[in-house]
Amino acid sequence: MNTRWKLSVVASVVAVLLAGCGYDDTPVPEKPDEPPPPSAAESECDTVESTLESYDPGIGVPTGPTIERILRDHKLVVGVSADTYLMGSRNPETNRIEGFDIEFVRAIGEALFEDTEDGFEVGRDIQFRVITAGDRIPLLGGPDAEGEKHPAELDLVVRNFTINCQRWEQIDFSAEYYHATQKVLLRAELEETYNGTQSLSDKKVCAPIGSTSLVNITDPKLGGNPDIEVVQATNHTGCLIKLQQGEVDAITGDDTVLAGLAAQDPYAEVPPTCEGDQVEGCQVPITDEPYGIGVPKGQEDLVRFVNYVLEQMIIEDGGAEWRRAYNRWLADPLGPGDPPELRYGR
Amino acid sequence: MTQSAAAPPAVQQAPPPPAPAPQRRGFWPAPTGKPVGAGVEDTPSLLNRLQIIGMTVVLLFGLASALIQFLSYQSDGRAADDTEQLVRVQEIQSSLLRADALATNAFLEGGDEDPEKRGEYDDTIAVVFEQIAEAAEAQSADRDALKALVVVVNRYANYVAEARVYNRQGFPVGAEYLSVASDSVRTEAQPILGNLVTANTDRAEDSMAGQHPFWLLLLGLVVLGVLVWLNLLLAQRFRRYLNVGVAIAAAIVVVTTLVAAIAAWRADSTNDGLLDDELQVAIDESAARTAGNDAKAYESLRLIKRGSGGTYEPKWEDAAEIVEKKADSSSLDEWEDYVDGHRQIATLDDDDQWFRARNIAIDEAATSPTANFDRFDGATQAVVTENGTTTTDELRSGRTLALIGSLLTLILGFVAAVAVARGIGARRKEYA
Repeated sequence: MNTRWKLSVVASVVAVLLAGCGYDDTPVPEKPDEPPPPSAAESECDTVESTLESYDPGIGVPTGPTIERILRDHKLVVGVSADTYLMGSRNPETNRIEGFDIEFVRAIGEALFEDTEDGFEVGRDIQFRVITAGDRIPLLGGPDAEGEKHPAELDLVVRNFTINCQRWEQIDFSAEYYHATQKVLLRAELEETYNGTQSLSDKKVCAPIGSTSLVNITDPKLGGNPDIEVVQATNHTGCLIKLQQGEVDAITGDDTVLAGLAAQDPYAEVPPTCEGDQVEGCQVPITDEPYGIGVPKGQEDLVRFVNYVLEQMIIEDGGAEWRRAYNRWLADPLGPGDPPELRYGR
Repeated sequence: MTQSAAAPPAVQQAPPPPAPAPQRRGFWPAPTGKPVGAGVEDTPSLLNRLQIIGMTVVLLFGLASALIQFLSYQSDGRAADDTEQLVRVQEIQSSLLRADALATNAFLEGGDEDPEKRGEYDDTIAVVFEQIAEAAEAQSADRDALKALVVVVNRYANYVAEARVYNRQGFPVGAEYLSVASDSVRTEAQPILGNLVTANTDRAEDSMAGQHPFWLLLLGLVVLGVLVWLNLLLAQRFRRYLNVGVAIAAAIVVVTTLVAAIAAWRADSTNDGLLDDELQVAIDESAARTAGNDAKAYESLRLIKRGSGGTYEPKWEDAAEIVEKKADSSSLDEWEDYVDGHRQIATLDDDDQWFRARNIAIDEAATSPTANFDRFDGATQAVVTENGTTTTDELRSGRTLALIGSLLTLILGFVAAVAVARGIGARRKEYA
């Protein structure tokens, strides 16, 4: 009897154990690693004054194989930003893309199509493609991040696009239409004591993924600070979200872009450029960022026509058209501005 | 106290023994009721041993068979819970994507969102939180993953709220908040939900394979073999072909085994059927609903990020492929109606006729793409609910019977043990 009882007890225990067997916990996926901060690219050429030289505009007659194709299709495909407030962004009220860059797109479209049979209509003749900074060169037929080239999908890129010698090897540029500089935007409480990038030691500074702005701000040769902790976001507006959520202390980028970010948040400030002996509460621009309009390599006829339009805006009537655009979009946050000098020589 | 099976020799002068008659040695001894082959064997001790062996074997049979049936009963219960949790987790996935599709579509209207659409989004995101809470309550093994999920969904909801506020003020950071929120659903929430779906699918499949007709049959055969062997030993010694007690025990074992094995086999077949049919339909339809809402959100995002068809259309195509592969024919018609409208939106957007594309995308007329999509969403949800409920109901329906069977087997095991004890006890009495 004793043995039987023991057997019963063992069987019951086994049953209870089996019944109580729990499941393994569902695994929680680990967060993906942050992309590594960009390193300074080895440049085989130097960006000098002559880099800003583009093709002579001629007399503005729309001829050439590229222009003829565009006129035949009655469509100019332009890559723009839709989230760079004041430069190129979607107005939620009207749902239209507007900004300083967009003024140049309209001027080029109008000059191209106004004399055609059907005239010019923005919505019909200009096809806006919203692109990221990383799309600019690949969509113009230049190499992508992996070095692969694809057929050009855009006729122009007007999206705060800095002219430099490396890019000239991949695509063509118009003459410079705006001279921006790289600066820093801060949380408001940091502005008063800010005296250059040395104030940002151990602070988190954000810029878009792969942006050269992050390389510049940590490069001591350019007045940067290697002790800055760099954080990356998809774009500058993504950086503003991180600033608002307290994940970063500052954002670096072109002054035009930063002005647009500061206009959306009363607690974000771009310290003004230092003047005279002023050292606190102001900043010295880190780099110059001359903006040009990107064109696929080899389409000189289109570059010349774009330069002709720029000349009309920047030189005619003392640059009245350029000033009208500047005053409408950038004069408030950036102060008075003048058009850049147009350079040709290619 | 033991007794010798041989009678003590008489002390007398016996005439010389006649030549020994040739002994008959057959397989079955003559049915005299007296022990045969009597020699030096300790019969009472042997009977005790046989009694213990017989009782132990049938008791163990009763316990083991009842245990196997009890585990199957528990397994079906777990299977019902696991499939319910699987459907619940998939519904979280679908609801979250549905919320994203609603949020992105409402955003297209500009700063002044339609309060009805906003309300629909608010209701859907509230459902997501409720479903997460229910899932955490239902399965403790999912709690860590659900904790991580609730953090992501909470941030998603906050970012959508920020997106609305900034959109009303006319700031593009609003669109970025929405874009980051949508992205977090796909890059952060989806991997967690993917793990939850995989884990619960594995659990449901394992639980549904908890019926063991083969083991029940094998156990019965082994025990039956032991009882036959026991009967043979007794028959050899007591000239009875059949020990009644052992025979009753054997009959109990045979009947119990057959009934239990057939019941387990039928339950196993039913579970296989549920796994291949109703549950599979629920899983596929849920995946179709998730992918459909994913596609609808991509359609809105391509319009929010105006002219970004090159980025979002391939993602829409991938999601559409999943819908076409997984959706039940009853919901596929609605999907195809929506697809026609989507193609129109995409073509207009590609031609930069953005306003026309946007107007079609937010149109709510009965034949608009959004209305067709809503019908698809409703149809898929109905299929998921119906098939999920059928699966869990079926799994739970036969459980009481299985529990009764398990208890009955245990009792019958004891009855069989008593039968063996009495059967062998009768032989002992005869011998005494």
